[in-house]
Amino acid sequence: MFLDYIQFVLAPQMVTGLSLGMAVVLVALGLTIIFGLLDVINMAHGEFYALGAYLALALGASGVSFWLLIVIVPLLMMPIGYVVERGLIQRVFNMPDRHVTTLLLTFGLGLVLEEGLKVVFGPTTQRPATPIPGAVEVMGVILPTYRMFLIGLGAAIVIAVALVVNKTRLGAMVRAAAFDRNMAASLGVPVERVFAGTFAFGVALAGLAGVLLAPIYSVFPTMGRDFIFLAFTVVIVGGMGSIAGAVVAGLVITQIQALSSLVVSPVWSDPIVFSIMVLVLVLRPQGLFGRLGHG
Amino acid sequence: MSVVLEVRGLGVRFGGIRAVDGVSFDAESNAITTIIGPNGAGKSTLFNLISGMIRPSSGKVMLRGVDLTGRPPYLMQRAGMGRSFQITNLFFELTVFENLRLAAQRLETTGRFLLPVRRSERALARVHELVERFALAPKAGELAGALSHGEQRRLEIAVALATEPSILLLDEPTQGMSHSDTADTAALIRDLARDVTILLIEHDIGVVMDISNHIVVMHQGRKLAEGAPAVVRADPAVKSAYFGHA
Amino acid sequence: MVDINVVEAKGTARPKRVIDRLGLAMRASHVLVALFVVAALIFAAVGVIQDDRFFLRLGTEALIFAGLALSVDILLGYTGLLSLGQALYFGLGAYVSAVVLKEVPSFWAAMAAALVVALVIGFLAGLIANRVRGVYFALVTFGLAQVAARAVYNTRSLGASDGLIGVPVVPIDLGVITVMSNSPAGFFLFTLGFIVVLYAVCAYLLDTPFGRVLLALRANERRVPSLGYSTRNLRLSAYVLAAVIASLSGALYPMLRGFVSPELLFFTTSGNAVITVVIGGVGTLAGALYGGVILTVLKSVIGSLTEHHLIVIGLLFMATVIFLPKGIMGVVRPLIERMLRGGKR
Repeated sequence: MFLDYIQFVLAPQMVTGLSLGMAVVLVALGLTIIFGLLDVINMAHGEFYALGAYLALALGASGVSFWLLIVIVPLLMMPIGYVVERGLIQRVFNMPDRHVTTLLLTFGLGLVLEEGLKVVFGPTTQRPATPIPGAVEVMGVILPTYRMFLIGLGAAIVIAVALVVNKTRLGAMVRAAAFDRNMAASLGVPVERVFAGTFAFGVALAGLAGVLLAPIYSVFPTMGRDFIFLAFTVVIVGGMGSIAGAVVAGLVITQIQALSSLVVSPVWSDPIVFSIMVLVLVLRPQGLFGRLGHG
Repeated sequence: MSVVLEVRGLGVRFGGIRAVDGVSFDAESNAITTIIGPNGAGKSTLFNLISGMIRPSSGKVMLRGVDLTGRPPYLMQRAGMGRSFQITNLFFELTVFENLRLAAQRLETTGRFLLPVRRSERALARVHELVERFALAPKAGELAGALSHGEQRRLEIAVALATEPSILLLDEPTQGMSHSDTADTAALIRDLARDVTILLIEHDIGVVMDISNHIVVMHQGRKLAEGAPAVVRADPAVKSAYFGHA
Repeated sequence: MVDINVVEAKGTARPKRVIDRLGLAMRASHVLVALFVVAALIFAAVGVIQDDRFFLRLGTEALIFAGLALSVDILLGYTGLLSLGQALYFGLGAYVSAVVLKEVPSFWAAMAAALVVALVIGFLAGLIANRVRGVYFALVTFGLAQVAARAVYNTRSLGASDGLIGVPVVPIDLGVITVMSNSPAGFFLFTLGFIVVLYAVCAYLLDTPFGRVLLALRANERRVPSLGYSTRNLRLSAYVLAAVIASLSGALYPMLRGFVSPELLFFTTSGNAVITVVIGGVGTLAGALYGGVILTVLKSVIGSLTEHHLIVIGLLFMATVIFLPKGIMGVVRPLIERMLRGGKR
């Protein structure tokens, strides 16, 4: 009886939570890197995620294969992110109270993007076919193949991002700019381009998450709004600007969400997650992990 | 002369390092007590301990016989401690008038807290007195952020003084000032000492020797020596630690 | 006693130099609100003559949401706290009012209940939200509202996703006159009066030492403790005040529309209030009223052309953030201030 519960209820639920967790981590990763480097709360991040999903939907409908989409959509998102950073965020970057100003600006951008998606793609919910149908059996537990793939790919991307940030010259420039932009600039780091590039990279990650999650959670114009609160919670709990924090908090929080909706009720999973966020903020306002470039 | 501020065995550790270690001294009424010491001697930390910005791990701070140890800064202020900051810490987007008025409004009775500001006559009179005394009257309507550095430093002192504190803690009031401004400020501080007890941190050794009644020398978080300027100047330990190896 | 507020400038040709800029700004704001009231009265008169129902009720709704914007401005413009969840208190007031009115159709009972609930919930939530500041404050307030919205959405006794319908028409007994909540012109005028009273209360409080310290908090929080004030208590007071203003405004909503729905608690509502304040002018109070009307007019004008009016509003909002950081009042108020200074010659 108990084993059945594990096999048919608990384990699949945890895998569902883990695959959601990986997607949340991708979105949160972008948010946290953007905050860590630019000190900008990107309120439009959820809409970039939605944009990624819609691009996948549109391109997929015109025959582009899923495998190609995983590559193309993030590449398409990058120039969009770059232009947004240079054209909008840089404009208000040196105004007093950067946090609030950039938050408001990206909030406005999110509104425009969301409504734009409605104009272009219509308000209805669409759902692309699962790219990898079927299920695999792992130790007697039946699991959808696509979710397993999502977990694997997510882990690979997270590792790749961590390697780029921590091991490459590019990553060193990003960390230097995050730690002290003036010093980095005097050392010859092209700070403005690094900022725009990082923003573009974060946006691309959000778009990628959109591609990957579209077959599971469907595509609709407000999909970003529903998702972003979770991503923000993850970023706050993990520590604003912390890559490791986003990964750990993303995986833990989605597990808590998955299990609490099983044990208590789905209605309570949001309040529980929120309470965790508040608890972390009260006990450890800087989050569980340190900020990017700050040790 | 009576003792206004008593500091007894005050100390704090930051992760095992004793930034300030067992410092004791008195500040007497209407006198200028100056804390000196080389960079990193713990002078600013000592100020932060006295004014409640940092909670001490040992020792006591008593103001007019009342033990204030461990109180948050706002209660320290209410108990009669006024302080200025080493790095100018004003309301830059507000006028000189408003900076002073904000500080002076604590002089009013609690009931005035929810009455229109123009009813705070005592605070407004105090502001008027201060702009005259600190030669800021022509600038009263300017934003604090638009003042020259010297004016901002003067305003910084005036704001700290606005609440009529029992003791005024001045953290490097001449920081970044020109020679003539420094001399003016020194004269101003000496003038202030006629009505208020002053505890000063100052780098300009000429100013220190000139205006201090009592000097406390800090070195590596501890009190190295204290006494009248002449006594401190003659102390061999002070000479080697502070004035270079004699 | 020397008049500190105004000193004579050298040469009498120029206007007197005003030293208390904040007091002047507040007086300019009063003038702008007076103009606003005059315009609203003309609007009401035209409405009555035309026997209009739709526009008067739309105008009433704009005023109610201006009350919410007022509460956002107290936090953002005067205390420096961006709340992304002010809809929590607006929705709370609306629901409390609806529930009370369905039991006892008494205006004053509904308002009293909305006031008490806002005080209690505002205080408790304020304890949580004020543990943090800056963007964290924005995200925590966002989260609080999100959780409350989700809770209401899932509570069957509150009508769940449908909300509560069938809120009865209430007589509003003002002593000398009784206004029925379903009278378009009557309720419009009543709401106008109500919002002006809310404005007056805010403006009064912000021109006291209490209000000025809130501004000090926004200007430089680190200096405030050495003025002898507890930053935590100040922020909490401002938060509770804003909660009360939002809740009382929300309490009028079911009287106007006869129903409440969970949307009132959603982020869209909070976000709209922020947009209203930013377009109107952060830290001006009058901007909340003007912004509320401008946003409503835009929505109905552009909304009559396209259903995607949010794109235009979003773009306008972004343009305001970039080009007019002080909003419309940032342009208009200095003109009034100059007039007031000149007029005192």
